[in-house]
Amino acid sequence: MADTILETIALRRIFGPLVAVDNLDLRVEKQQFYGFLGPNGAGKSTTIKMLTGLLRPTSGKVTILGRNLATDSVEIKRRIGVVPEGLALFERLTGAQLLNFVGRMYGLDRATAATRSAELLEFMDLADSADKLVADYSHGMKKKTALAAAVIHGPEILFLDEPFEGVDAIAATTLKRLLQRFITHGGTIFLTSHVLEVVERLCTHIGIIQQGRLVASGSLEELRSGVKVPGHEHSPLTLEEIFLQVVGGAKQDAEVLSWL
Amino acid sequence: MLLHLRWQILVNSLRKSSRRTELGFQILWVLFWLVFLIVTCGAFFGLTFTLLRIGRPDLLDLMLWAVLLVWQFAPVLFEGYSPGLSFREVARYPVSFRTFYLLSTVYGISDPAAITCLFWLLSMWIAILAMQPAWALAAALAFLVFAVFNLLLNRILTGLFDRFQSTRRGREAMVFLMFLLILLPQLLQFATGYWTNMRILRPPEWLLSALVPLREYSPPGIAVRMFAALPGPELGALGALLLYSVFVALLLRWQLRAIHQGEIYSEGYKPRRALKVRQGWRVPFVDEITAAIMEKEIRYIRQSSRMVLQLIYPPLIFLLLAFNPAGRRMFFSRSPEAMLGGMAGFILLTLPNLAYNTFGMDKEGFGRWLLCPSSIKKVFLGKNLTHAALLSGLYLLAETIIIIAARPDVLLLLTVTVAFFAVLMIQFAAGNLFSVYWPKRIELTQMSSRMASNAAGVATLLIMLALSSIGGMVAYATWALQLPWLPLVAGVAILVASIKLYFYLLDRAASYTWQHIEEITGNLGA
Repeated sequence: MADTILETIALRRIFGPLVAVDNLDLRVEKQQFYGFLGPNGAGKSTTIKMLTGLLRPTSGKVTILGRNLATDSVEIKRRIGVVPEGLALFERLTGAQLLNFVGRMYGLDRATAATRSAELLEFMDLADSADKLVADYSHGMKKKTALAAAVIHGPEILFLDEPFEGVDAIAATTLKRLLQRFITHGGTIFLTSHVLEVVERLCTHIGIIQQGRLVASGSLEELRSGVKVPGHEHSPLTLEEIFLQVVGGAKQDAEVLSWL
Repeated sequence: MLLHLRWQILVNSLRKSSRRTELGFQILWVLFWLVFLIVTCGAFFGLTFTLLRIGRPDLLDLMLWAVLLVWQFAPVLFEGYSPGLSFREVARYPVSFRTFYLLSTVYGISDPAAITCLFWLLSMWIAILAMQPAWALAAALAFLVFAVFNLLLNRILTGLFDRFQSTRRGREAMVFLMFLLILLPQLLQFATGYWTNMRILRPPEWLLSALVPLREYSPPGIAVRMFAALPGPELGALGALLLYSVFVALLLRWQLRAIHQGEIYSEGYKPRRALKVRQGWRVPFVDEITAAIMEKEIRYIRQSSRMVLQLIYPPLIFLLLAFNPAGRRMFFSRSPEAMLGGMAGFILLTLPNLAYNTFGMDKEGFGRWLLCPSSIKKVFLGKNLTHAALLSGLYLLAETIIIIAARPDVLLLLTVTVAFFAVLMIQFAAGNLFSVYWPKRIELTQMSSRMASNAAGVATLLIMLALSSIGGMVAYATWALQLPWLPLVAGVAILVASIKLYFYLLDRAASYTWQHIEEITGNLGA
């Protein structure tokens, strides 16, 4: 039986009258590249915040690496890496200082933190800007720095909230290379993204959330077999077609603004 | 439409309770401003009235100079209180250049400094109407053109400021410069012994005579000549003032044209340097994680010229006092202990900047503390330890200098030292709680961005009041009971109590953080 790395049971989060995440049951196995999709406001970021300790669930249970997040959060945080929505960077440190600091916060010794920081800066093509304040970085550079900060301590599972948003093609290729390498070496990734092509190419498993509820989950093949689209009986469905079928939000021609 | 937009932004922001508290304090500030406006308008009226009564209308230009300087420079100093809508944004919409120019200019009137200046001009005009009704019409015209000139000039300076502000380095340099300009006169006072010998800084005669033509041909001088010139109003002066206004209008046109056409400014890049990542700091007596937190905090302070300036200002004043002959006479020989007490107070005054909004400079980085595998309590402790080490270091340096230079009374010295550390602990205890109750993003690139929220500011005053009351009671008891050792004993007791209070409130702050993560991260933009 495969190792369950992440499991949520009846995870729920409400903001006043709004139910952002509703009885979410998720299961992610070791070495899975799990893509978590959903339309805007479906509850993706709220979920990832609850999974990483940035937001308290209203109810439900989160188990990561066999430990309960509510009671063992420090130990869990030591073993996970996160690229959160706002990136959470100390922008008044230079790129090199930031990575060094994060490495030490995760318990790396001074020499290891410095060595890994240098290696990550080189890998991410940030070496030229290592002495520049993060505040002066472009959005793509900040994203790469956040990813470097997420992996510096060698986590077992990575949580990435929209890692490809606002990133150019070159930077995206670098990020993809790093993520694939991470999976190959036994890591597990939980990723949210709007870029369906990227998810289709990278992810082994997919979950689709809508209005706070998980409406589809499984490998791409499982999703394909479970979703039927007229006219596609013989050709495989793309992730976009599956997504639109499951979420059902695409406007028909007749619905498009008549004056446009 | 713009007013409706601003109103909508205000209404939406009130959905957060912390924002509602802030609004309450902002209303308080508006009330203060209104009082200030009424008082200063009275002063402008009274002064104009007096000058006209004693037959010195030629001095009215000095008042117009005050108007000009406040109109032009106050918006820069109080940038955070000024309307924040960038007209660079408006240029993105399909508006003609003429509309853009008009909107950009008229918007300048909504600045509190501009409103204040307009009321000052009105007060002057009412005084002229009362004392010299014959001048009223010409004065109204002169003040109107002068106001237009100021409005246009202000928009040019705002544009230049905006250009300078468009890069982070430019913004920070500007803030540093402003702080330096504010602090410089005080530094000069202490450095030259100005307060003991006023003649030292009196401007020389040649400088005063060189200023005469500047007064005469400047817009304030010309404006006054328009109505107060003898034998009658001078048309040439009107022409000159209009010329000034047309000139600045053209300059503004040139400046706004570039913005309307999409001119952008960006941050420069550093040349490539060989990559070398140095190992983090090792700090004696603390573990690796606390050392990392301390390194981060010190770097944050060191990499902000404004923070450095605020931190070195008290010891600088102290050194100037200590090595100034007058200061030495006044303090060292009479009461070195009082001087140490004053220095301790001075240092403690900088503490709210560091401790009352401890996550304010981290902004988005606050989320990183939550992601790291360490308790938020440890983060508070690391931050407090760093700031305490800095402030204690400054205090101990001052104490050492005083001990060497003045040989103070040991009992008093110990009392002051114990009291310093007791207040330090109380301030940190309260500061941790305030940091999560009223977190506030600190924008180091804005002159008016305060280091803590208004609510924390008021709470500070209450704490200082309570501490002063305790100090007063101890002093009274010492005097009444003739017990010279009482302050030291009381100080030690307060220190012990403050340590207990610190750890109690630290727990409260940590648990409050977890219960209000969302609100805190929302306020810090994390």
